[in-house]
Amino acid sequence: MRVSNVTVRKRLAAVLLIGVLIFSIIDIRLGYVQLILGDGLTEKAKNSWSRSIPFEPKRGEILDRNGVPLATNMSAPTVYVVPRQVENPAETAEKLAKVLNMPVEEAYKHVTKKTLIERIPEGRKISNEKAREIRDLNLKGVYIAEDTKRYYPFGSYLSHVLGFTGIDNQGLTGLELYYDKELKGHKGSVEFYSDAKGKRMPNMADRYTPPTDGLNLELTIDSRIQTIVERELDIAEAKYNPDGIIAIAMDPNTGEILAMSSRPTFDPANYRNVPSEIYNRNLPVWSTYEPGSTFKIITLAAALEEKKVNLLKDHFYDPGYVKVAGATLRCWKRGGHGSETFLEVVQNSCNPGFVALGERLGKEKLFDYIKAFGFGQKTGIDLQGEGTGILFDMKRVGPVEQATTAFGQGVSVTPIQQVAAVAAAVNGGILYTPYIAKQWIDPETGEVISRNTPKAKRRVISEETSKQVRFALESVVAQGTGKGAFVEGYRVGGKTGTAQKAKNGRYLKDDYIVSFIGFAPADDPKLVVYVAVDHPKGTVQFGGVVAAPIVGKIMEDSLRTIGVKPRKGQIEKERAWNDPKVVEVPNLEGLTKKDLQEQLFNLKLDVSGEGDVVIDQAPQPGVKVKEGATIRVYMGTKSGSR
Amino acid sequence: MSQKKSTPDFLLILLTFSLLAIGLIMVYSASAVWAEYKFHDSFFFAKRQLLFAGVGIIAMFFIMNVDYWVWRDWSKVLLIICFVLLVLVLIPGVGMVRNGSRSWIGVGAFSIQPSEFMKLAMIAFLAKYLSEHQKKITSFKQGMLPALALVFAAFGMIMLQPDLGTGTVMVGTCITMIFVAGARISHFVGLGMVGLAGFAGLVLSAPYRIKRITSFLNPWEDPLGSGFQMIQSLYAIGPGGLLGLGLGQSRQKFFYLPEPQTDFIFAILAEELGFIGGSLVLLLFSLLLWRGVRIAFGAPDLYGSFLAIGIISMVAIQVMINIGVVTGLMPVTGITLPFLSYGGSSLTLMLMAIGVLLNISKHARY
Repeated sequence: MRVSNVTVRKRLAAVLLIGVLIFSIIDIRLGYVQLILGDGLTEKAKNSWSRSIPFEPKRGEILDRNGVPLATNMSAPTVYVVPRQVENPAETAEKLAKVLNMPVEEAYKHVTKKTLIERIPEGRKISNEKAREIRDLNLKGVYIAEDTKRYYPFGSYLSHVLGFTGIDNQGLTGLELYYDKELKGHKGSVEFYSDAKGKRMPNMADRYTPPTDGLNLELTIDSRIQTIVERELDIAEAKYNPDGIIAIAMDPNTGEILAMSSRPTFDPANYRNVPSEIYNRNLPVWSTYEPGSTFKIITLAAALEEKKVNLLKDHFYDPGYVKVAGATLRCWKRGGHGSETFLEVVQNSCNPGFVALGERLGKEKLFDYIKAFGFGQKTGIDLQGEGTGILFDMKRVGPVEQATTAFGQGVSVTPIQQVAAVAAAVNGGILYTPYIAKQWIDPETGEVISRNTPKAKRRVISEETSKQVRFALESVVAQGTGKGAFVEGYRVGGKTGTAQKAKNGRYLKDDYIVSFIGFAPADDPKLVVYVAVDHPKGTVQFGGVVAAPIVGKIMEDSLRTIGVKPRKGQIEKERAWNDPKVVEVPNLEGLTKKDLQEQLFNLKLDVSGEGDVVIDQAPQPGVKVKEGATIRVYMGTKSGSR
Repeated sequence: MSQKKSTPDFLLILLTFSLLAIGLIMVYSASAVWAEYKFHDSFFFAKRQLLFAGVGIIAMFFIMNVDYWVWRDWSKVLLIICFVLLVLVLIPGVGMVRNGSRSWIGVGAFSIQPSEFMKLAMIAFLAKYLSEHQKKITSFKQGMLPALALVFAAFGMIMLQPDLGTGTVMVGTCITMIFVAGARISHFVGLGMVGLAGFAGLVLSAPYRIKRITSFLNPWEDPLGSGFQMIQSLYAIGPGGLLGLGLGQSRQKFFYLPEPQTDFIFAILAEELGFIGGSLVLLLFSLLLWRGVRIAFGAPDLYGSFLAIGIISMVAIQVMINIGVVTGLMPVTGITLPFLSYGGSSLTLMLMAIGVLLNISKHARY
């Protein structure tokens, strides 16, 4: 068969038809992409074109309850390089490296990096002086951006509670981490459209979103009390060279933490200088250990609430040990305390006496109260890394476990649990959730955005029982093991504790945590202070000897600072032979020099000022001071006196 | 056979010049940013393209006046030269690698792509073969197979570079010519089956081709790798909408779409001139196809007819593949858009081919 021209003509027509058909299909596809997919593609394309330059918000400051800044921000400029704008990379790198103290090759790598904006690590958060040096170099493509660095004006002060931030001002530990979201605020940005090489594209508008600064956090901490606590811990650390110290001060009527500190401590600015377990563990809430005798307060409160004991009328005989289910539990005093009232049992911290109280309560009641006082669960304080502690498994509590628990052995608790529990025992019976964030403040307006209020968990004991506990514990300080915490006029109550440290289920030899938990004034407690010293050296390891005086000091200065008036009707201190005598300061005003020499037989004088008549004195008349203490008097003329 | 010479197809010249003009404007618009960045001269590419166009137009008018039978007489020699060049280009040191393919031969600006010339030589030779063996074309063994064997030998050589785009255009063109010559439809169906299998084999033999296939189906799978060009192309076309962003207003030409003046120039055109502009260009190409087929209809002999359909289908297939790629209908192959894309050898060769077509039109009777 011969192909005719007709076939060729037909086929040519077919080619034209098919060709036009394919062009039409392509045109339909073009229309589909442009008109139907268009909007979606435009959105995606815009994302690919837009570049966003972040605007850092200012991190909220942390203040104490009186507005004293504890964590604030410091200007710390940061060097940015826009590699595309650098004219002479070699020279720029060399000059930058010199100021920033880095290898030239490193600097060169950053300066020539193919990126929109490059941050040189060594150029982050530098000093204002260095920033000025770089600015003076006048390098093309090198910019200094305003940035901030966290600054802790008091150094290691309150460092565990405050924590610290990382290079991006993000909270890493402590409150900085716990409240990071509120403190950090929200980043803002400038979004602009750029070409693929990072240059601004013409004819497209920028979008600016301003940053929202973080909120200022006002704490329940009272820096005045914190200062006192820090000072006392420094002294104790120097004196006893302990493995660690823990201190908490709390308002028992609200759960507000007024001070919290521990040793070893660290400076947030140089946290890398200490092992991570030091800055990561806030011991007052983290550590768990056997409380020892401070735990007896719980047994006492429970027994009183359940009316199982009359402190003054009921008597107990302590032979120095007690046999429980075949086991012999010894009293800390060899030979025992003999016959004593239950008030004396408390004063003497007599173990067999508390075993008896535990037996009167019974296992169920005893553990009910322990749990009601908040042991065995977290207090819920707003701090990172709180411990839970361990109680005996109820199924495994036999007579021995019950007995040891009654005097504070075989249980494991945290310091903050003890503080919260004792606060409940003395404040009238209400257990509060301890807290440390008082309120959030708008940094611009100073307006309070939100406020934390005291959170009562439950009533644990009655007002009346609480009153009896206060009385018993005041007598511990005035007449019992807690004399070291006695403060003239402030009616300190409290309880000592000495707990043998355990490791791998065995007690360590000669290694104790000695503690004291105190409150004052006993008629209306304003302050609960707990101090524990871990393995003090060069001393008898007794809570009454080591920890009680620290609490006493903290109590005395803190109560005076926050304006609590000294009380009358204090239980008088029972004097030991080595106790210094206390005398009342007489009124010296109006006396002449001659009078003074005759009057003051048991006090020293520090006289200043000109004149022959006393016009002022310190301490004021009526204050009790140790015998031989110095009284400062100021002399003036009679007419000048008030 | 010789007829009295008449005038060339002016509409074809007009269409060619229209496309050239659009191409020049778009090359400038698409390349200005890139040219300014690289050469500190926003007209760098536009000026060179203008020069190529000038050379091409002169060549076109020159060839328009060369009677097309010359190509029949010289086609065998040209084909052999092209085969030799295709062998030479594969030798490292002689052939130069650009964009992953060893397709270039020569020195610097005076380098050529032998495969481009092969396309034209093959059309010239196949037209001769088909016109001489038209009687046997219905026979597979005696008519179709020798033609196909030759075409696929050339295709095989081109794929060694590899240059899938040019190879595909050449094969498509030749099959169109064989189809027009009157080969049996059943042979095409069988051939299609074999071709499909062969294509699958080719794709599977080189992993980068698989990537191109998958990236065309879902470019967002690998947005920075194989899907990159496709995505950037769609980011240009999509926002163009109906009317476009306006001439010169492309955003994707700001270094997002790589070398926007070459293979993806249609994307920038669709971005700036919208669906209307894109459709206009497609319409111009459709009219060009119509004029080409019309010349094939009117050609005084079968050789002229086959040569004309070969040339116009080469242009049309290249347009279809290029715009098909740009709009995401096809995997990325890397061929230029005739008359619009920047590029000296592509443009001058296209214009020379149109010159041949014009010469046939001068002899045509409708």
